[in-house]
Amino acid sequence: MAEAVRNGFAVLFCLTGVLFFVGATVGLLRCPDLYARLHPSTKGDTLGVCSVILGLCVYSGFTMITLKLVVVVFFLLLSSAVCGHSIGRSAFRSGVEPWHKAGVVPWPGERGES
Amino acid sequence: MAVLRGAARAEEATVNTFFLAVAAAIMVNAFLCLYQGVKGPRIQDRLISINIVNTKALAVLLLVFFFVGQTEMYLDIAFVYALLNFVVTVVLSRYVETEGGIVG
Repeated sequence: MAEAVRNGFAVLFCLTGVLFFVGATVGLLRCPDLYARLHPSTKGDTLGVCSVILGLCVYSGFTMITLKLVVVVFFLLLSSAVCGHSIGRSAFRSGVEPWHKAGVVPWPGERGES
Repeated sequence: MAVLRGAARAEEATVNTFFLAVAAAIMVNAFLCLYQGVKGPRIQDRLISINIVNTKALAVLLLVFFFVGQTEMYLDIAFVYALLNFVVTVVLSRYVETEGGIVG
């Protein structure tokens, strides 16, 4: 009985992870801009991989494997945010203009352009 | 008792096959993201695509390890892969930022 409950939770968490991965892919393919594309790629993907790893943790129980998986999750939560920030700053400093709708006045940027 | 144990073993095999199916679904997503990396007009678009594909590859790696079964020694490989993803993204974006001019 306990086995069945554990396996069911593992399957549930894995399916949630796949859902977030699909959301990240759709966001990456559909967003109009680099800065907009950064949003699904950073958050959706991190949440997806964390959910999948949580499912694997539930599946494997209290062992050394779970500890290592938790370490991987911790590192991913740190590194993904830093990666997203680094790419965004690189794009901004090398002069990529943010996307705006035709006919809408864009926000005045830091470089003094309007 | 033996019947119960046999049922548990069968269920475990089913869950392992399910892990493989999840890995296949994530791999399809990764290939769709790779299209963005080929298309993306700037180098930062390609960097985003590389980052997302690497994260998905990490998930696929872990799921395949659990499918194969000998997990304990392979988990270090997954950790090194996450580290490599981080280092590649940060170093390449820093390089593009400081050197500049490489747009396209």
